[in-house]
Parts: sequence; C-alpha cells; structure tokens
Amino acid sequence: MKTIKIFFLVVLSGFCFSRLQAQQGVTRISIGYTAGFPTSKFKDFISDASFRGMDLRVLHGINDKLSVGFGTGFQDFYQKYPRQVYKLSDGSDVSAVISNSVQTVPLLARAQYSFTPGKRIQPFVGVGAGGNMVLYRQYLGEFEGSKNKFAFQAQPEAGFYIPFKPGGIAGISLSGYYNIIPFKYNNTGNLNSVGFTVGVAFPTGN
Amino acid sequence: MLCLTIATSMATILTGCAKDPLKNLTEDESRIYITNHDSTYNFTSAQTFTIADSVAVISNGQLVGKDLTSYDQQLIASLKTAMTKQGFTLVDKSSAPDLALAVTIYSSDQTGVISYNDYGGYYGDYWDPYYWGYPGYSYYYPSYYGVYNYNETTLAIDMFDLKDAAGSNQLKNVWSALVRGSGIFNPAKVDTQVQTLFDQSAYLKTN
Repeated sequence: MKTIKIFFLVVLSGFCFSRLQAQQGVTRISIGYTAGFPTSKFKDFISDASFRGMDLRVLHGINDKLSVGFGTGFQDFYQKYPRQVYKLSDGSDVSAVISNSVQTVPLLARAQYSFTPGKRIQPFVGVGAGGNMVLYRQYLGEFEGSKNKFAFQAQPEAGFYIPFKPGGIAGISLSGYYNIIPFKYNNTGNLNSVGFTVGVAFPTGN
Repeated sequence: MLCLTIATSMATILTGCAKDPLKNLTEDESRIYITNHDSTYNFTSAQTFTIADSVAVISNGQLVGKDLTSYDQQLIASLKTAMTKQGFTLVDKSSAPDLALAVTIYSSDQTGVISYNDYGGYYGDYWDPYYWGYPGYSYYYPSYYGVYNYNETTLAIDMFDLKDAAGSNQLKNVWSALVRGSGIFNPAKVDTQVQTLFDQSAYLKTN
C-alpha cells in the first residue's frame, strides 16, 4: 500500500511539473518499476523472473530528439531449489536445499532517441553502458558463498513515452531492454536478462 | 572510483529491499548433509559393526567429555537400525567387528575450517584407538577428504575399518558424515537425518 501511495505521489508531482514545451534543454527524471527475466547462462543459476526492481534515470535533452544522462536501479533475482544430492569435486556427496540470489545495481551513462517528439505516443530507442554492482550469493542450506563484483553492463532499449498532456514533458514511459552483464564465478556465466519497466517521467525545475 | 562508491552505496541501500534467502528457509531446509567415503574400500567385505556407547563432545578443538544424553541414545539407536537395514550385523566391540562407528559433536565459536586430514590427526585425542581394542594405533584419513568452514555446532559420524587394521597399524576412516545447520539436535528429526545420510551413501551395504 505504501508503495502505491508513493507511486501516486510521483505521478501527481509529474502533473504539477508538466509543461507544453519541447524537450530540448529540459532535464527529466523518470522513476519506474521493473521486472527482469534471466536469459542464457543466467537461467541455469536462476530461472525465475524477478518482480522486485526499480529504475531511476535522469536525461537531459540535447535537442528535441536526443537526450543523454545517466541511470541506476535495482533488480533482485532469487530462486530456491528443492533438496538434492550434489557430487563435489573432492568426491563427497552433499544433500542440500540450494538458494541462489543475485542483486544487480547498474550505474549507466545513457542516450535516448525519440522518433516523434511532441506526438501523443513517442516511440524511442536508447542505450546504456557502464558498470553494474553485482551481489552474487549461493546458499547451501543456511551456509553462504558470495561474490561481489563491479561488472561491465550494456543495455539496448526500446519503448514508448506517452505524455500526460499532448506535447507535455511529464508522462508515462514503457520500455523493454536487454541487460548484457559479463560475469563468471564458479559455474555461473553472464548475468544477461530481459527487462521491462513502467514508470513516470517529469521535468526538474520550472 | 566515484562510480564504484556510488554503486556500492546504492547496492547496500537497495539490497535491503531484496528477498532474504535465509528468512525463506525452514529449519529442515537449513541443514546440509555431507558424506564421503574411501572409494577403494569394499564395504561388501565387511559384515559386522560396533558403535561407541557414548558421544564425544569437542569444543574449540578440545575434548570436553563423553556424553550420553537421551538425544545421544536416540542417535546411536538410529545408527544401529540403519546399519542393520543395510545388512551389517551389530556385535560387541570385544567380538572383533569389521567396522566401528563413532559419533562426535563439534562446536566452535571461532570461524575457521575443518580439514579432514587435520581432523584425523586430532581424532586419537577424542577417540583413543584403545577404545576399539587397538592401543598404539593411529587414525588415517584419505587425503581427498574435504575441507569445510565451521563456526557452529556440527554432528559428525565416522566409520573405521577394524578388519584390516592389523596389517597397517592404522584405523582407516572409510566413511564420514557431517550434519550442519539448524535443528540438528531436535529429537524428532534424528531418524530422518540418519536416513538422509544413508540414502546418499548407496555403497554402504553388505551386498
């Protein structure tokens, strides 16, 4: 309930700041809820989707179509596997419930290109590149093995921006993206995932 | 460097929002069962076994004493039943058993590692080979046995080959089991825990 209240407050503040002007020279903040879906090798470690995530980005309009800025966020991946016997390299057999947990916190430089600025629906493409603080944990029963690493991340993206008012700067943003995070630890490979975000965007200042 | 600091700070704050794997574990799920054995040992060549009549309690590497609580009695009885089910015959230690089992409880308030090789070196302090009728013998652990972290209470069960001891002057460890995690000493879980150890040790049988 608290989360919903915060969401509506953010939406309301978006309306307050909404203005009829082009995005050139305007700095816009967007806050979104995200869902992540592991792909490729990451799926072998955690196959469950993550519905615990958020996205925060600040973009400044270079011109009507192109914005640049930075973004961060958070995604929490987790999966518990039922008890099973695992053969270890030293010859021992271990019966354990395994819990895998990965949190990713990106810190990306971003660029976004809008195809139809000023229109009611504004499709865009974007790209982010930078680093990601990866918190990797694997539990055998209650016993933890962990690895924290600042990994490279690239993130191509495509989506739609729908202003609250025609030509407005505040609005709703919907997008899908692909996270490329090279990572190697134990038997775990790259932590690539598909993500979706829905959020609100609003300009900073007047 | 600034990016790393920001990302680390963000990670610290936001991981508070993450699902805590430990809070999503039941007591049963928290436990792990580790077994290992000497793959060169032929368990079908053994027919009889004996088991120590008490449990050695080791705290921070020092023998505190031998105990026989109601839990210990239940555990020893459960091991006897499991071994018998696998085809071995329980005999008195004075009747030249082929195998000997001993139960040890390790507790530690320090963080460190258990190495089975080191463990073997100290084992004679906990269980004098004299107990089995082999005074002056030493214990031997195969080198491939694992190393485990410990900073908690661990239940260990060790099995030694007495049948071939005379030839080597050593009591060779042929099977080891560790139970770690929460609720180990819950009397209601004794049989389940013993059964889990034997279920993952399919080689432990007479035929």
